[in-house]
Parts: sequence; structure tokens; C-alpha cells
Amino acid sequence: MKMLKKVIGTTLIISCMGLMLSGCGASKKSSGEINVFNWTEYMPESVLKIFEEETGIKVNYSTYSSNEDMLSKVQSEAAGTYDIVVPSDYMVDLMAKQGLLEELNKDNIPNLKNISPAYLDQYYDKRNVYTVPYLGGVVTLCVNKSKVSDPITSYKQLFDSKYENSLVVLDDTRIVVGMVAKSLGYSMSETDDTILAEIKDKLLELKPNIMSYDSDSPKTVMIDGSASVGYIWNAEIAMSMSENPDIEIVFPEEGPYLFFDNMAIPKGSKNKENAEKFIDFICKPEIAKMIVEEFPYVTPNTEAINLLGDDYINNKACNPPAAEVAKGEYVKEVGDKISVYDSMWTELKK
Amino acid sequence: MMTLNDKKQKMPMLTMLSPITSMLIFLVVIPLIYVLVLSFCKTNEYYQVMFTFSFDNYKNLLSPSYFQVYMNSIVIAAITTVICIVLGYPFAYYIVKQPPKIRTILYMLVIIPFWTNSLIRIYGWKSFLGASGLLNNLFVWLGITHKPLELLFNRGAVVLGMTYTLFPFMVLPLYTAIEKLDLTLIEASYDLGARKVNTFLHVILPLTSSGIFAGAIMVFIPTLGFFFVSDILGGGKSDMIGNLIERQFGSANNWPLGSALSIILILLTLIMVRLYTKAGGKLEDLG
Repeated sequence: MKMLKKVIGTTLIISCMGLMLSGCGASKKSSGEINVFNWTEYMPESVLKIFEEETGIKVNYSTYSSNEDMLSKVQSEAAGTYDIVVPSDYMVDLMAKQGLLEELNKDNIPNLKNISPAYLDQYYDKRNVYTVPYLGGVVTLCVNKSKVSDPITSYKQLFDSKYENSLVVLDDTRIVVGMVAKSLGYSMSETDDTILAEIKDKLLELKPNIMSYDSDSPKTVMIDGSASVGYIWNAEIAMSMSENPDIEIVFPEEGPYLFFDNMAIPKGSKNKENAEKFIDFICKPEIAKMIVEEFPYVTPNTEAINLLGDDYINNKACNPPAAEVAKGEYVKEVGDKISVYDSMWTELKK
Repeated sequence: MMTLNDKKQKMPMLTMLSPITSMLIFLVVIPLIYVLVLSFCKTNEYYQVMFTFSFDNYKNLLSPSYFQVYMNSIVIAAITTVICIVLGYPFAYYIVKQPPKIRTILYMLVIIPFWTNSLIRIYGWKSFLGASGLLNNLFVWLGITHKPLELLFNRGAVVLGMTYTLFPFMVLPLYTAIEKLDLTLIEASYDLGARKVNTFLHVILPLTSSGIFAGAIMVFIPTLGFFFVSDILGGGKSDMIGNLIERQFGSANNWPLGSALSIILILLTLIMVRLYTKAGGKLEDLG
């Protein structure tokens, strides 16, 4: 027994020493730097280099691959760990309500004038108190013309048994359930139990038609022709169109799924002014242009679009027409009904 | 009563045991307790964990759709295990019978693929089996088919991926068991008039059964948790327990439900190991 006590005692001492040592490393005083926390594959390194050269501010860059991932890091790490985060629409809403975001000083962001009003003053951040739009896009249909002869105009057609085992969709609960809801004429964020039950039945009807769920690289099965119809990110559609001329982007009458990612400063940032400088820098037309050239999503920067020229403007996959975007819908938080969404997704994928 | 001499003997023991004990406490015991506690909690509307006690997560997990996922996982794991035994046994037997030099080479060939991340190897299978992949191109070129075959995104592809990834876990314990086999017993069996089939069934098989059991456990249990194989090769269409857990800790952001699922997986594992020890297996053989 004594032996055991000693082992545990020594163990605790060693561990405490370890904790104290690791505590030392974190208390470095920071000045002239910012900590940027962004999505993976979303900002070219060259952009960061130019910022560092122009301003002398060092950028510490780290990445995440889902809003929820980012949220849990911001909630669990010490305040001031990040100076810039890039939450999507609904996540801005949630973070603002939780008081996790700093108000922006617009005087430090003169380049905000380059941003199209179409992307400002959205439901998730009225008057843009907390955020400046960064990049966004739509999730819509694409069709391989050599395999699909009928013109596709509606999500309703995807349920047809002739498309058995031929759809690729994103592996994302809210996006796919939202599409099914829209095909029934509902909103993407219904919370009523009877409506959700109806959506669930319809969702299960789609099951035999889905060939694969893929959020990482759904373009692969579009390009090699194994999928005939896709419901995927517009940037993935743009890339598959340039690889396979049979592929065409389709905007169904119900409208696409919309998403927009926005730069924001988490509460407690120690480098708020530098972070605002960074946001302003990203809003420069030539910088915004560099970003879209590498990652073909939708830029809200009007001046950058002018710089990009007709090739970009006329490419419906890179730059979805405003009339189609106007028909689209952002998903909203559904509170504890999220468990209903999750259970229908489990039902679909079992 | 403690003497000076006792203390002298205890110091080395303490220095040797403390690091490993602290590692086990901090990296295994505490996280497991945390998972157990989480599994009785709930989340609020901001996805934050609320430390209230309820059995709701476990009640949810008894629903038929989750049950089907468990069954699907067990079926895929069982098929994978059987295929691994059927392919692995003759393979291990063959390796053991080779002269030492060739034996080392063959043994290394089993181990070397381990040095590459299994995720990368699974992506390799995806591009190999895809519609424009090497295999389909070969089939079309040979005129076996006109249109590429749909080899991906079905259960068969998942079983293939699992078998491929976990095959070494079956071969290695089998190899150890077969290597220990006393050849004189086989000779005795022949001398006493037993034929090859009888010798195999009544002498070789019982003597190497420990390897089969150990291999089966080491294949069956990881199969339940390898979510990436069913995600990548199965196209996300046949979820296993691992996929459910991954989703709750990732996009669904419901850690308490994910923890409850993990506890279910741990229980399943414990049941399997219990069955294994009941059948006469030794825990040491599991490595």
C-alpha cells in the first residue's frame, strides 16, 4: 500500500512539474504580430507574405476545417489566442449572440468601400458590426450532359428512379437536408416537427439515387464520369467544368444553398488594431484578386471582379449570376432541433 | 518495518514506474473517465457541454437506426475477420515453411506497407478502383468490359479496404503461433496413420488456435472503428460505429452523444475480449 502511495505521489509531482514547465512557454509578450485562424485551402501563402512585407506585422497562421471545430477552439483556448477567425454566416450569428466577437472600428478599414453592398448588412450581422465578408459561394447542381438527356430545372427531378446510384452530394447534414426541404417548398432551416418528419421521408427517398457522399473532392467522380449529377460547391463545379467539357452548372428553380465566410476578431484579441489592418489589407482589390485566382470562390470585392475581367465575370460557376444568388438561402441555427437533423442523417447513411 | 536496505531497493523502482504510471493516468485513465462523464451530459444551443446528469444519450442509442449501424459494423467486421483468417492462415504457414532468408524477406513484405499511412493507402485504392482508375482501364483495354465497372462505393469495397488494412494484424500473430508449432507432433500424427486433413484438423489447427483467436480480435475490433475506410471506399453510404462517433465529435458537435457511442464501442470491445479469454486466449498474445 505504501508503495502504491509513493508511486502515485511521485507521479503527481512529476506531472505538476511538467505542467509548470509548459505554462512558461505560453506567457510570451506579443507585439507586432497577429494570429490568423482560417479554413484550410482558403488563403494563398503569397498574400500573407505581402502583408508581412508591407506592414512588418508577423502573421501566425493556423487552419480549421469546420465552423464547429473553430468554435470549440475559440471557446476552449485562452482569450486572445486568435486575432482573426473566419466563421460562416450562421456561425457569425451564433458567436455574436454568445458575445465571442469584438466590434470592428470601421475607420481602420477604409477598403470596406470595395465590398459590394449585396454582401453587407446580412441577417447574421446587421450593419456589419462584427464582420467583413471574405469569400463565399453556392452549392448547386452540376450535370454530365453525356449521361443526362433531360434538362434539369428542379431538385424534384433528382428523386426520379432513373438516376439510381448516380448522384454525388456533399457529406454535410444541413446542406443535403436543406436541398430536400427546398424541393418540397420548405425553408432549409425548418424546426416544426411535422414538417421535419415530411422532409425525413422525402430524404430517405433520395437514398437509392446517391452514389457517394464527399465533401473533400466531389469533383473526382464528376470528372471521371461515374456520377451523372452532383450537388456540390461551386468551386468544385468550376474545376470539374474545366477538366470535363460535358459538365454543366445548373441553377434549379428552388435556388441554391448559400454560404459566406466572414473575417471577424474574437473577443479579447490583444492585437485588435493589427487585425483591422489585416482585414483592410484583404479588402484591397489586387489582394482579393490573388485570392480568387487561387481559390475560385465568390469574392464580394467589386473592384477585384473588375480587375479579373470578363473570363471570370462570365463564368457562371466561379461567379454565379446575381439573380440565382438572390433565389438562394443561407442555413440558420435550428437550436436543439439539430438532433432531429442528425438522426435523419444517421437514418439516411446507415 | 522499513529498513534502509528496503528504501534503496524502492528508489529505482519508483523512478522506473512513475513515468509510465503518470502516462497511463493522464493519457488513459483520466480521458476515459472524462468520456464516461461526458456521456451522461447534454449540450446547450451553443454546442457547449452542460454538466447535467441524464440517460438521454443512451436512450437515443437504443433506437432502431443506431441498432442497424451496430449490426452493419458487426457484419462488416465479421466478414473482414473471416477473409483475413482464410487468406492469412495459408500465407503465414507458407512463410514459416520457407528457409530463414526468404522468410525474413516475406515477413518484411508484410510489414513494410505499415510504414505508409493507412489513409494514403486507402486513397490509393480509391484511385486504383475508380471509373478512370488503373483496373478499369485495364479491363476496358482487354475488352473484358465496355463500360467501366462500378467497383467503388459499396460494401464490397469497404470489406476490401478493411481486409487490406488489417491483414498484417492477422498474419503476425498467426506467424508467431505457427512458428512455435512442434514438428515432432505432426510427424507423430502421420506415424499413427492420420491423413493430412486429419492432421491439420486435429493437430495443427488446435495447436495454432491461439494465433487465430489473437488475430481475429486484432482485426475485428479495429474494423469497428475505422471510419475513414467506409467514408472513402464506401462513399459514406454504409456507416459504421466509427463514422457515428467521428460525426458527433466533428460536424454534429455533440460530444456527449459521441462519448456515449464511444462507451458502447468500448463495451463491445470488452465483450469480444471476454469471449476471447473464455475461449482460452491469453491477453499477452494480443500484444
